[in-house]
Amino acid sequence: MDAGLLAQYVMNGLMLGTMYALVAVGFTLFFGVLDVIKFSHGDVLTVGGFTALATFVGLGALGIKSSPFVLLIMLIVAIVVTAALGMLIARYLVLPLRTAPPLNTLLATLMLGTVLREAVRLFYPQGANPKSFPALLPTDALTLGQFNLRLDNVLMLAAGAGVIVGLQLILNRTKLGLAIRAVAQDEETARSMGINYTAIVLVTFALGSALAAFAGIMNGLYYNEINFGTGLLLGVIGFAAAIVGGLGSIYGAILGGFLFAALQIIGAVMLPFASAYKDVFAFAVVIALMAWRPTGLIREKISERV
Amino acid sequence: MRDTAHGPLAPLLPGAAALAIATVYLIALLAVETQSLIIGLLMLAIVTVLGVSRTGLWASVSRSFSEREDALGLLSIVAAFAVVAFFHDHHFVLLLVVTILLYTIAALGLTIQFGYAGVMNFAGASFFGIGAYTAAVLNTQTAVPHLLVLPIGGLVAALIGSLLLLPVLRTRGHYAAVVTIAFALLFKTFLEVNDGLGGPQGLQVPGMNILGWSLNDNMTFGGFELSFYANYFAVSMVMSIGTFVLLRRLDRSWIGLNFDALRLDETAAGCFGIDIARWKIIAFTFGNFLIGAAGALFGMVGGFVAPNNYTFADSLILVSILLLGGIGNAWGVAVATIIVVVVPEKLQTIQEYRFLLYASLVIIVLLFRPEGLLPRPVRRYFAGWRP
Amino acid sequence: MTTLLETRGLTKNFGGVVALDHLDLSVASNTIVGLIGPNGSGKTTFFNVVTGIYNVDTGVVVFDGTDITRAASPTIHRTGISRTFQRSRLSLPLSIFDNIMIGNHTRLTQGIWFNLMRRRAFMREFEASYLAARRLVEVFEPRLVERMFDPVAGLAMIDRRRIEICRAMINQPKLLLLDEPSAGMTHEETTALMDDILQVRALNQHLTIVIVEHEMSIIERITDHCVVLNFGRKIAEGPYRQVATDAQVQEAYLGVT
Repeated sequence: MDAGLLAQYVMNGLMLGTMYALVAVGFTLFFGVLDVIKFSHGDVLTVGGFTALATFVGLGALGIKSSPFVLLIMLIVAIVVTAALGMLIARYLVLPLRTAPPLNTLLATLMLGTVLREAVRLFYPQGANPKSFPALLPTDALTLGQFNLRLDNVLMLAAGAGVIVGLQLILNRTKLGLAIRAVAQDEETARSMGINYTAIVLVTFALGSALAAFAGIMNGLYYNEINFGTGLLLGVIGFAAAIVGGLGSIYGAILGGFLFAALQIIGAVMLPFASAYKDVFAFAVVIALMAWRPTGLIREKISERV
Repeated sequence: MRDTAHGPLAPLLPGAAALAIATVYLIALLAVETQSLIIGLLMLAIVTVLGVSRTGLWASVSRSFSEREDALGLLSIVAAFAVVAFFHDHHFVLLLVVTILLYTIAALGLTIQFGYAGVMNFAGASFFGIGAYTAAVLNTQTAVPHLLVLPIGGLVAALIGSLLLLPVLRTRGHYAAVVTIAFALLFKTFLEVNDGLGGPQGLQVPGMNILGWSLNDNMTFGGFELSFYANYFAVSMVMSIGTFVLLRRLDRSWIGLNFDALRLDETAAGCFGIDIARWKIIAFTFGNFLIGAAGALFGMVGGFVAPNNYTFADSLILVSILLLGGIGNAWGVAVATIIVVVVPEKLQTIQEYRFLLYASLVIIVLLFRPEGLLPRPVRRYFAGWRP
Repeated sequence: MTTLLETRGLTKNFGGVVALDHLDLSVASNTIVGLIGPNGSGKTTFFNVVTGIYNVDTGVVVFDGTDITRAASPTIHRTGISRTFQRSRLSLPLSIFDNIMIGNHTRLTQGIWFNLMRRRAFMREFEASYLAARRLVEVFEPRLVERMFDPVAGLAMIDRRRIEICRAMINQPKLLLLDEPSAGMTHEETTALMDDILQVRALNQHLTIVIVEHEMSIIERITDHCVVLNFGRKIAEGPYRQVATDAQVQEAYLGVT
């Protein structure tokens, strides 16, 4: 295969992998801290993306169009909105259902995801149709043979990597991160050490949701498009990636995300006649992996007390 | 220690009365056309149910159903025929009734998987669609007798389902969730890219034909016009009754107990000899068979199949029916199906919003009344049995 | 004296923690053996390994002549081992009868045709099972008989423990593993429970019991033989009087030499 084409595929894989990793990390954070599967995560991503779009439209109406500035504002607004949404979800849906069987939380968040998705479809102007997402990053490109190295992609990759590294730093180098890890490890002990359990849970949800907003904007910039169903598939992929990597492990989630992206690329290369089948291929392999290693490639931190 | 099903009439009364009132109400709701009247009727129902739940009447009705279930089952069949007789030439209403029956069968299939055995299936509508598409292909391309197409549709659904489930049997609940959600999303895409299956437009399905009797023909008896949907009603009725009876027996047997044991505590169930994988497979496969068979009939009734009718959102509607009606309670499922199918059809304004509405309702139910409308009662192996 | 259960070199690690450390243990038929030791000494892990909930790392478990080391829980149960759990694991929404019948799974007809179609035959099996369950419940607490079809969720803790023991005994196992059956009970309730267990054993001559307990009075009263664990290793065994005065045992529990 032509080196340029290969490089294109690799770039593609890196972009997708970063997005999936961002979503997967969110799932793993929520599971780690509360042992819950928050199925609305993908749709929170959609809300983040549409919030950014709405901000763009709003800023445009105010006459503000200067590119990096607009993007920054969109980012901030989307992150604030999704973080707030994440906290509300935690406070009013997930925490109250703690005492119920975990199935109920899964169902409730699944339904909440539908509510968010339908709300966007019904209440955002023309929400049912795909909306074009503005190209706000410089589109200069370096052409190396068949490979088109675009500056905006490189910037997004760098930003995505930066976010993931930043998250790792927060979790491993700050007191907040320590508190989060303590709560994820053992709620009782964390409480008895004076950690405000509820506050940490809310912060974790805010953090995970903010990651989703970032992924949503990245998705919009990459495809120049966004639609109300975007988050759903991304959410399922992110969830599958988190499981196959090992729920509860950040590294596992990142690994899972890139693994899924790689599988999709491989699938697209192997089955060029219908790109829809690349998703089938990727999921089939992931499901096979789940069957082989149920606790994930990196051990899932479940300990059922018998 | 004999089955006292032929005792005095008293325990039957509350249930029979409730059934009669519900039937009259349903006829009224289906007959009324003006939106304001419909809203009024719905408000009346909500207020009545809330009011009754504060008195002891609710408990005596459920006691009635648990003691005299067989008799009340027969009365329900009579009630269904009454509704059909009332709307004998009304195509739209009869189609609605058939839809209710077929969705109920699908929801009961989901009940075996989800309500009894605890195996999550978020692709119910996909399996329904598999049955429908099987009917489309078999009816147009082959000469397989149409009655036979129904169980074949079920078998195809069961087969595809078992492919899905085998990998994740040994793993925890949320794995089955991911697998079935992914399947639900990808199934629709698969149908859309497959021109052999009609692509996004879908396929036509020839109507049902049993030994020369074409079900798509209206019938006239003297001056009495009978919409052709009544024919499909007859077939659906047989299917629903069979499914319902089978399900109740399943629940009130050692197999139902196995399902409960493995749903509630897999580890402990294994320690008492229950083969977890075997019973999960049985539940999942049998449930999909029912869903597929109902879907096959649905395809023939509607006359066409298209990917847009079998989406993930539709699967969630099926799940919502279970959660709203009372998970694991067959009667609750039937009631919830009626509500979920009829209300958006009558209240045209909310049609667009029905996914949003039902999802929100389920969230409220999960937060405040997770057992649903009709909680599942403790298992009684034989109605009216006393030690 | 035949050996019913024997483990050789049984080892189980969890991450870095050694829960069972080359444990050699044997249980003679028709005896009541007490399994004691400080918290975390591996007693429940031992039960979990024997009943197939955990896989072993190394070692062998032989029951009644059969190697059950790698067998799955259902298979192990069919060889004749039943157990109760430290954290009561009854199915709360289900009735007393249903819970006990879960324990009776291997004796009930599981065929689909039988359960769905042969309702008369099913009725007979149901009534026979009801009588068997009732007989057992009557030994432990006659007042529960009238609540046989009430959900277990409404019962007091001690009654739940009784039902859990009934569940483990209904299919007449060869070996019964009791994991801290007296947890959460008063002294009188514990004494009553032990009387009931001895009574059932009298009815079922071929029952061997291994009981994990922290209540030493129980161990002293009903066991023929004791095994003391510490850090997953056996540190003493013999009649209770003997192990109670063993220096190593005292150090393990009290930390004094």
